[in-house]
This record gives sequence, structure tokens and C-alpha cells, in this order.
Amino acid sequence: MPVTSIVSARRQRSLLTFCSAWLALLAVTVVASLLMGAGQVSPARALAVLTGNQDHDARFVVYELRGQRTLLAIIVGMALGAAGTLLQSATRNPLAEPGLLGVSAGASFAVVLAISLGASAATVHFSVAIIGAMVGCLLVLLVTQVRYVGDDPVRLVLAGAAFSAMLGAITTLMLLFDQRSADEIRFWVIGTLAGRSSVALWWSPPGILLALALMTLLVRPLAALALGEHIATGLGHHPRLIRLLTLLIVAVLVGIATAVAGPIAFIGLIVPFVARAQTGSDIRRTLWLSLLIGPTLLLLADVLSRLAVKPYELPIGVITAMIGAPVLVAVVRSRRLPTL
Amino acid sequence: MLTRFPASRRALRHCSLTLSLLAGVSLAAHADDRVIDTAYGKVTVSGTPGHVVALDEQAVDTVLAVGAKPAGALATRGAEGVSNYLKDRAEGVPIVGTSREINLEAVLAAQPDLILAGARLDKTMYDKLSQIAPTIVPTSSLAQWKDSVMTYATAMNKADEAQQALQQIDTRIAALKPKMPAGATVSVVRWMPQGALVMSSHLIVGETLQALGLKTTALSDSLVKKPHSDILSLENLSQVDGDWMFLATLNEKGKEALDNARQQPAFQRLKAAQSNHVVAVDGQVWSSGSGILAANRLLDDLEQNLAN
Repeated sequence: MPVTSIVSARRQRSLLTFCSAWLALLAVTVVASLLMGAGQVSPARALAVLTGNQDHDARFVVYELRGQRTLLAIIVGMALGAAGTLLQSATRNPLAEPGLLGVSAGASFAVVLAISLGASAATVHFSVAIIGAMVGCLLVLLVTQVRYVGDDPVRLVLAGAAFSAMLGAITTLMLLFDQRSADEIRFWVIGTLAGRSSVALWWSPPGILLALALMTLLVRPLAALALGEHIATGLGHHPRLIRLLTLLIVAVLVGIATAVAGPIAFIGLIVPFVARAQTGSDIRRTLWLSLLIGPTLLLLADVLSRLAVKPYELPIGVITAMIGAPVLVAVVRSRRLPTL
Repeated sequence: MLTRFPASRRALRHCSLTLSLLAGVSLAAHADDRVIDTAYGKVTVSGTPGHVVALDEQAVDTVLAVGAKPAGALATRGAEGVSNYLKDRAEGVPIVGTSREINLEAVLAAQPDLILAGARLDKTMYDKLSQIAPTIVPTSSLAQWKDSVMTYATAMNKADEAQQALQQIDTRIAALKPKMPAGATVSVVRWMPQGALVMSSHLIVGETLQALGLKTTALSDSLVKKPHSDILSLENLSQVDGDWMFLATLNEKGKEALDNARQQPAFQRLKAAQSNHVVAVDGQVWSSGSGILAANRLLDDLEQNLAN
């Protein structure tokens, strides 16, 4: 079939173009993230450090504080971007997003519960967050099985919002009863990339890379699933198994991301939205693109969160919500919700 | 008429005695009327109220400091009872709400003859409370804690006691001042995992530090409208560095909060941290407390840690 091969070659080329464009943008945001901050280290001073200047204070700020944050943002951004794309594909819902559907809320709730049961914030293991995310994913899965809710993208988001609100209320209740950990818990309610222990940098990249590696095995089956359950079954895939495995990987990605940075909503919604707008809805393209768009957006949001209220910082969740809410409205309002 | 019903004569005499007693009390009360300037206009209080409901942390502190016991108090933020530093004195005091929500029925059940509320009480709540009993909402802002203590105490007819206690604090400060490291910079922060909250120096803590001849940081001096800052960027942590740092913790595990802070490289670089001059203190006193008893607790902590 020469026509399709031409089309796919053209798409291949456009994917490559988009990928390199986003890679360049990512590089720009990484540099921006190293140069800009809420402190007294100016971009010029930071640049001097990067070119080998022995300015101890600036060195500390650029490498220890901003450098570490930048790495975390890349890791978390990749995880959330990929998780959003996978979740949307598995639920065939363009509005599905870990933050909106209660997956992040499940993860942060589990962490808050662990802290208020006596664990200290420093020692909370990411397994707690992953278990919480899994329970959240399981609920999403159950809800998608319910007729009308699972079929209607907006209803699914409503169900997710209700679930998130419920978990939020319980978290608030725990805050009321447990002043002891109020300061520590607040972090898990808002989400930030600041002040994370360097320990997080040791265990999160391997976990997320492993999840991303497993994810590659699911790309083909998910693409087949997009053609419809019957066709996918005809091609020798097992739709239910694919969905289950996908949600498992989403849970691991979101769990680790939440354990590292707290709940950060909307990244998982914006990233696939942007990716689809550029290369169409085929997961074989959007997924790779989302691995680049995720970190770029998160870094951009983080830089904004540092510059907005100097010498203080805004929680990054506030910035992502400010960028994400209009996107959500745009997606819902657009006449034709893309069917996945 | 009276002779015809001799039995009722005694009753009548009893009655008139009570009446004259009541008249006497009301006369005395009249002489004792105090007109108090509050945020919602002038409020007249007479006599010495026996049932005082304190709907504010500082009000509870004041009632207890002048030797009375509130008929009801608010639970402090997030906890089930009053602040820990008041717990011993406030034993058995019923809780009539939280700082977020006053339970009007519980206030009514406490049968107050005076209600002492916080400066931030809104009008709707004020209207309801003042139907139950004269309600005092101090006019003063964050800064003038002594004024609002005196407002509360005057309403309770305990102005002398409060005045005396405030004077004792001044005497104590004067005695303590020569023992303090003069001119040393002291910062008061609350530690969050992602950075520090800086406490304003226009609260009781900053005022006490300055009265002792100690310096506060420029950043805490700049907080004139809020009790504390937003979360400070870790890049700016050096702005709250000084000779001493008091880490107010809202939990009882103060040491743990300190350990958490020490894990942060940006914290380890502080002068105060390197010279081991970081002290974990009770946040219920250091970041939200205000009043006579709180001031004395502050002085205890300062004496214990800074006096030579």
C-alpha cells in the first residue's frame, strides 16, 4: 500500500520535527531553571558559575538547589506526561488525567494517612504513595465500568472530581485532628519541587525509568485498542488485561511523582492535549512527544512559581492549575471531543 | 391584709429583703459600670462577671492570668483543647468551638455574662453573640497586644490585676536584659519541608526580643500586616539567618522538626545552624500565643537559652 506508507513516512518525519523542537524547548527551560530563582543569585552570576566561576554561594544555589529541582522536574514531568497519555488512552477519554480522576489524590491521601499514623515525612517510602495511587486507579477503572459514566468523558471527570473532593475532605479532617503533623501534611496537599531531600533523587529515576520501559510494551496493544475492542481482540490482544496493566503503570508513575513532589494536577491533561494537537491521536506518536512536553511544561511552571512572589515561592500546583484550567475548559467546550 | 394571712408575712419580708439586696447590688453595679471601646462600638459592662466565655487565644490567656477561670474557651488551631501552655490552668474548662467555628449553642449553654472575642470576629457572629451576653471585640491590631489584654481585663473588672501582671513582665524584662547577648540577631521561623515561614516581628515575640535589646531580621520587620510570611524560597534562607534561630513547632515533636530542617543542605549553611544556635520551641506560644502567660513563657525560653 504505497499511499499509507507515504502518509506514515510523512508523519514519521513530522514526529521527528516535533520531537526535536520540544527537545530544544526543554533545553531552554533547563537553562532557565538553572539561571532563574527567587534568591539573590542573578542570572548573570549563575551563568558565571556554569562557566566555572568559584562563587561558593552561587554554586550552592545553582547546583544544589536549582540543579536538584531541575532534575526532579524532568523526572516528575516525564512521569506525569506519560501517565496522562496512558490514562487517556486506556480509558479512551480525552479528559482523563491522574490529577482530575483522583489518582494523585489517592497517592497523597495515602501519604498523609501514613504521616498522621506516625511516619515522618522524611521517611515516607514511595511504596505508600504507589499503593494510594493504585487504589485511586482501581476506582477509576471501576467507574469506567459503570455505564454512562465510563462512556461520557465529562461524567468521568465529574466522578473523579467527586472522589478527589472526598479524599480532600478526609485529609482536611485529619489535619484538624492532628496538629502534630500539620506542617508536614500541608506539603502533600499542595505539591512543590522545592526542598525535596536528595534521597528522592536516588530512588525515583530508576523507578520511573523502569515504569517507562514497561510502558513501551503496551504501546502497540494500546494503539490496537484505539481501533475498538473487537478489532483489538481480533488482532490477538486482551483489552481487559491491557487496561489493567496500563493502569498499573500509571499508578507507579503517579505514585512516584506524588511521593517526590506532592500532587500536581493538570500536567497529565495538558501534555497529551498538546501532543494530540500536533501529531494526531495515535498513542505511538503522542506518547514519545509527551515524554518531552511534560518536563518542559513542569519546568516552565516551576520557574514561574519561583519568580511570581519573590522572595517567597508559590506552590507549583497553583501555577499548573492556572495553566491547566483554561485548557480543560477549552477541551470540554470544543465541539468535537476527540474520541480515542 | 397582712394580718389576715400571717403566714405570708414572713414570705413578704423575705421578698423585700431580696428586693433590697438586689437594689443594693444594682446600685453597686451602677457605680461599677465600665464603658468599653470595642471594634463594634461602646459596650457597657457592670459588676464582676463570673461566667466569662473566652473565644480567643489571647482572651483565654488573659482570663487565666488574672486568676479567673473561663466558663468556656475555644480549642486552639487544630487541637482538641486550649494551647498546651494553658492546659494546667484551664483544666475542666468546656470547649465551645474551634478557631474556625464558634458553637453558639455551646456558648449559650455556658451561660456567660461576658464574652471575650478575638479582633477578627465578624459582624454577623458578633450580632449573635451580643444577644447572649455583652461581647468584647478589641479594636487593636496585631501589634498592640497589651491594649487588648487591658480591654479584656477591664471588661472583667480585673484591670488592676492585669496592670500588675504587665508591670511584672516589664520588671522581668529589665532584669533579664543585661544577661542577654546585646545586639544579637534573633529570627523566629516555622519550618516547612520546602522552606521557612517567617514570623512577623510586630507580634508579642518580636516586641519582647526588641525590649530585651535583641535584633530581629529585616524580613520579619517587613511583615506588618500578616502574622507570618508565605513560604520563603530556600534560595533566600540566608535572609532569616542570625546569631540565634528559634524554630517554632506546632507539634510536640520539636526535635523531629529540627532534625528535618537539618537534613536540608540550605539549612545547614546557616550561621545559626553551624554554631548550634537553633532552638526548637513551642509554636503555640512562639507563633500563635499572645498574652500575659504567653509573654512569661517566652521569657522563660529566652532566659533558658540566651541568658549567660
